[in-house]
Amino acid sequence: MNTPAIEITGLSKRYGPTAPPAVDDVSLSVEPGCVFGFLGPNGAGKTTTIKIAAGLLSPTAGRVALNGCDVATRRSAAMAQFGAVLEGSRNVYWNLSAWQNLIYFGRLKGMPKAAAASRASDLLTELDLWERRDEKVGGFSRGMQQKVAIAAALIADPSIVLLDEPTLGLDVEATRTVKKWIATLSADQGKTILLTTHQLDVVEELCDRVAVIRKGKVVTDLPTGELLAGFRRRDVYDVHIEGDPALPELPEGFTVAHGEETTTISGQVADPLEIYRLLDRLREHRVVLRSLAQVQPGLEDVFLSLVEEARHG
Amino acid sequence: MAELAVSVRPLGVLAAEVRKGLLTQLAHPLGHVVGLVVGMGMYLGLQFVMGQGALRADLLPPTLVGICAYWFLQYSAMVMVADLVEEKRGGTFAQSQMSPAPAWLLMSGRLLTAAMFGLVIAIAAAAVPATIAGITVEWRSSVIVPAVLLVLDSLAFTFVLAAVALRTPMVGALQSLLTALILLLNGAFLPLALYPDWLAAVARLLPTTLGIEAVGQALFGGLSLAELWSTGALPWLAAHTAVLAVGGGLLFAHNHRRAVRDGRLGQY
Repeated sequence: MNTPAIEITGLSKRYGPTAPPAVDDVSLSVEPGCVFGFLGPNGAGKTTTIKIAAGLLSPTAGRVALNGCDVATRRSAAMAQFGAVLEGSRNVYWNLSAWQNLIYFGRLKGMPKAAAASRASDLLTELDLWERRDEKVGGFSRGMQQKVAIAAALIADPSIVLLDEPTLGLDVEATRTVKKWIATLSADQGKTILLTTHQLDVVEELCDRVAVIRKGKVVTDLPTGELLAGFRRRDVYDVHIEGDPALPELPEGFTVAHGEETTTISGQVADPLEIYRLLDRLREHRVVLRSLAQVQPGLEDVFLSLVEEARHG
Repeated sequence: MAELAVSVRPLGVLAAEVRKGLLTQLAHPLGHVVGLVVGMGMYLGLQFVMGQGALRADLLPPTLVGICAYWFLQYSAMVMVADLVEEKRGGTFAQSQMSPAPAWLLMSGRLLTAAMFGLVIAIAAAAVPATIAGITVEWRSSVIVPAVLLVLDSLAFTFVLAAVALRTPMVGALQSLLTALILLLNGAFLPLALYPDWLAAVARLLPTTLGIEAVGQALFGGLSLAELWSTGALPWLAAHTAVLAVGGGLLFAHNHRRAVRDGRLGQY
């Protein structure tokens, strides 16, 4: 059996003896080549987990191993296994050019100068930054700065890449470029990627596996398809009606959204007959029906539902 | 998946840190030039006032050693502290810590950058007033050891400030306060011999003072290394340097451990 690329065992972190746990007994195992999505609301413990994995934060309990190298006890070896782009951080030097940044971080990762230069050339060419390699990064757009940050994380060609909100603040085009690149890193280069993001479409599109964390605890950890399929077994319906009429009593859990000309009633039913009974009641109230649609839940629905379930215990 | 081989190249890491540090500092050279010109002008102006309208030949050479030492300390501390605070705030410090190289090696690179920058500035700061005032100093080989210790003493002080910078961004205020005190008392404006005894004793506790005295005794008093040792100038300087270096190392290790525990490597 392969050594997991990222193995997190019983990880806990408290920022003070009386503080609530930021991460509470988290265990995860990420197989090599997997794109692993790590989701959760703000303050759930995602960034804390990534910082511990990156050796920037010591855990209160538990351990993280990268390609079998324990971050605490074999720090030097563990640091060579990954590159990281951290959220809310510049990640690269704005006073230096893209080229100077890449060479600097390559040298820090232990690369000989010639190897760093060769790799930097490849990365900057792939990212369409070659022509601007000698310009200071501070003058780049946010999207280009993020490209340089990702390139710097990849300079030593690590097998693991930790990406904390890599598309945050990027415009549509830059987001598309970063997404495409993440897909390439995994599919063509076999890299293991631990990705946190609030953009669930990014996770749905890229991730092989998803874990949802809330209040420091992992509430689910499943392959993306399996997670979505589990939710798709439940029938979710949208009923669109004209105007904003008085409505009969709705089944439990149904919500009403008012639009300009229409109203949408949405909800989940265990038995399809329930939807027919709802339609009958609407007709009795002389509500004009426009359309009825069975909806496939997206990852956003699943995520919100899981977080809601965890909140209610 | 096989783990990557780890081979930290200490010289490569040091070279990368030095290059990055120098490039970062030279990105905005005008501030350094203006600071240097103002400082040199202030030094010559004060010497002119203290010489009652003339640059006194007996005061200038010893105070020139003092101002040279001050510039070295001031600039090396500024480069180290300003870079560290800025990088901690920006997040690049945390990014640099994700290196297989140990933290002490990365900090040594930063210290080396600070030393190089400080040395260039100190030489320029001393050479210009020396040329203007027509000062010539006879070279003596016995000055090498105290001069090296003076440099190490200043760098040890810089390292103490760097250790504090890991903990608080207010280190800038502490740095300004201490370097101003050092400038006033280390002999840059007045030789220590002119101070009352109690003030001279206080001044000798500050970085650079003992070094300036030892260098002055070698350079202008013609003392050999053995004589510098027997007068106590060299042992006291060596002890001062060692205490600052060990203290700085311990404080750095403590604050680094604490920053990793509290998740504050990339923020304050």
